[in-house]
Amino acid sequence: MNELIEELKTKLIKLLDLSSLTPAQLDAQARLVGGELGIDSIDVLEMAVMVEQDYGVVINSQEVGEKVFASVASLAAYIESNRAGGAA
Amino acid sequence: MKQSPVYVAAAGSVSPLGRGLDETEAALRADRAAIGPLEIFSLLHGQPLPVGQVKDLDSSPVPPRAHRLAREAARMVLRGQPEPPDAIVLGCTTGGILTTEELLRKKEHSPDGYRSHGLLSLVEDIANLCRCTGPALTVSTACSSGAVAIALALNLLRTGQARRVLAGGVDSLSRLTYYGFHSLQLVDRNGCRPLDVSRQGLAVAEGAAMLLLTTEQIEQPLACLLGAGLSCDAYHPTAPHPEGKGARAAMQAAIEDAGLAPEDIDYINLHGTGTPDNDLAEARAIAALFASPPQLSSIKGATGHGLAAAGAIEAVVSCLAISRGLVPGTVGCSQPDSAFAFTPEMTCVQRPVRTVLSNSFGFGGNNGSLVFGDLAHKQVRPSSRDAWLAIHGIACLTGKGLLQATFAHLQEGGAAGGCFPDADLAQRLPARLIRRIKRLPRIALLLAGEAQSNTEGQDAPCAVFMGTGWGALSETWDFLQRLESSGEQFSSPTDFVGSVHNSPAGQVAMLLKATAANVTSSGGDYSFEQALLAAQTLLPETGQSAMLLGADEAHAEFTPLLDRSIGAGGLADGGGGLYVNRDREQAKCLARLAYYGRGGGDDLPDRLFAALGGEGYFHRHSVVVFVGVPAAMQAESGPQLERLWQLIGHSLPACRYRDFVGEFASASAVAAVLAAQCIEAGRVPGALIGGADVMLAPESRVLVLGTGQCLTAMEFFCP
Repeated sequence: MNELIEELKTKLIKLLDLSSLTPAQLDAQARLVGGELGIDSIDVLEMAVMVEQDYGVVINSQEVGEKVFASVASLAAYIESNRAGGAA
Repeated sequence: MKQSPVYVAAAGSVSPLGRGLDETEAALRADRAAIGPLEIFSLLHGQPLPVGQVKDLDSSPVPPRAHRLAREAARMVLRGQPEPPDAIVLGCTTGGILTTEELLRKKEHSPDGYRSHGLLSLVEDIANLCRCTGPALTVSTACSSGAVAIALALNLLRTGQARRVLAGGVDSLSRLTYYGFHSLQLVDRNGCRPLDVSRQGLAVAEGAAMLLLTTEQIEQPLACLLGAGLSCDAYHPTAPHPEGKGARAAMQAAIEDAGLAPEDIDYINLHGTGTPDNDLAEARAIAALFASPPQLSSIKGATGHGLAAAGAIEAVVSCLAISRGLVPGTVGCSQPDSAFAFTPEMTCVQRPVRTVLSNSFGFGGNNGSLVFGDLAHKQVRPSSRDAWLAIHGIACLTGKGLLQATFAHLQEGGAAGGCFPDADLAQRLPARLIRRIKRLPRIALLLAGEAQSNTEGQDAPCAVFMGTGWGALSETWDFLQRLESSGEQFSSPTDFVGSVHNSPAGQVAMLLKATAANVTSSGGDYSFEQALLAAQTLLPETGQSAMLLGADEAHAEFTPLLDRSIGAGGLADGGGGLYVNRDREQAKCLARLAYYGRGGGDDLPDRLFAALGGEGYFHRHSVVVFVGVPAAMQAESGPQLERLWQLIGHSLPACRYRDFVGEFASASAVAAVLAAQCIEAGRVPGALIGGADVMLAPESRVLVLGTGQCLTAMEFFCP
């Protein structure tokens, strides 16, 4: 799980061009969307594409998206429990 | 000048509803949904999504599908017309992209196949078809393009710059828009259900529609175009302002421009795309503006969303509502959302309609509303707009950097071509501001910020006008590459949002909080000239300032395919930014587009010469000329210049500015900034014109000429 969180941090910094941040500075529990980073609906869609392409996990409803992208930790948990061979 | 109402003399529409006014009317009266599974290109996997497509259009790739749609609509409008229009304004978002997509897949490396990619090729094609020798202009403001094009045409007529204008919009289906809207999760898999409580999105569509607008007294016009209102949300790249603030401003401006009050509107043709956010924001805007909303409906459940064509198709439908007495239904809507303060018309009803408000909103928060009326409502709107704009702030970017660095290089006899490094560009802009945007919008933001600060204290402008020859190439290229490399499974929503031509101007609007008109033109080598013409035509006489921009980005792979002037000299890019208004007090310089002609006629130089004022002009003013000769246009430019020098009768100090700033479509924006700088300084550096410095007197003029496919003249002079 922690490994996945670290992996996601690195990916998100690159994907969303948060180049002023290091993975250590990106708090896994902090509010991801609508928080201080300026991450909004377009970024959510961009992250959804990445999650589907890299982890095979589909997020295609706004309600699910809002919960999943609440924080890096919630995203990691959702991927973990929904990917093929995962806890589900 | 004698004023006249603006009549709709003729109209043509090619849409999923059918061809021509009669088929369109029949489909509307039957409440027929013309949306079905995508057929015009095949998918690698998955069920085709519902789209609105035009039937029975042959599928040959040359000319591209958009051009063929536009030709059909134009032929319909011009049938039986005694003379050609003297200007054309077409809204379009993606031009020949469907053909470009196929060529890229085949790894076609020759630029020949890509000749019809750009929006200029489309509008020039239609201008050739109807033998128009005046300006053939483009508007590319995403889904409001068609309405904004008609608004620009209205004001060309009101200001006496044209008497007959062919105006409208066109877009064909393409992978870019099909997968792009899908990536934004804005497509309803069950077809489009505008205003319905369970609506889930739009259906991407295609089509072309045009109006022939005229100030000449004609028999039996279809309707009158009474007014237009433009605004920008300056809020978000895609999401509308949640309270519909910009939508309300556009509607209000259009109704006022028509000399009416909200209660005078009989019917509102909604933008009504069927996305949850758009329909809610639009409904809120209407509730805020109309104490008691009139009858209203959206036809997009029947047609789908024709993008740039939508506003034009719906302008035609507005004219039909008035001339044939009908209010269309909201096809696809079965249970109207109770969150709205109104109930839409569910089915088409026969009733007299005297006035229509038609809405079009697009990415970049770009809004355009039009008001049409019957003949009883015809009226004359006074317009005393000056042709010139007063320049208060300037900025440019070349391979050597900003204005100061560029000018220093040029004064020393050096050249400033090339590309300013990406890293240096990023360093000059706040990281958070540019996080999601690539090279072109970054250039635009830098130019806008620099031109604003160069004004030394003027308020931020409220309007934005931008010309770009090729638009955001990085985003378009990256979107299509990822789509292809993933076997059509994945594409970037961020790149799609950034790929629209007006995304840079939308970013500038957000930066400057510019909520008035926001117009992007994409006319190849004449894009900046088109943006200047749009600005001098649309900027009000008082109370508003505008950021006028011309910019392009060089893309290592894409640019050489599209821009035929790119040769051994290598890539160059950049642009210019000018803060303009109508206030000549303390202005650095005044500027106007004095002439825009096209069509390859031998008499174009004679027309330009006459438009400037003939021999007398060159006697009264000492003139320095900056000439734009695109490398690919030398064969056309040579004779044009030869004839012009012959008419002028004596030699003038002249500089071929592309020799100094490089070959790129909006190089003329840099030339314009250099011209303004020279006027303010009272001197043209000798290094530019191959001789001694030329001192400029108060009556001197700097002319920036564009030659080749079109012939243009921008004039710069002392306030």
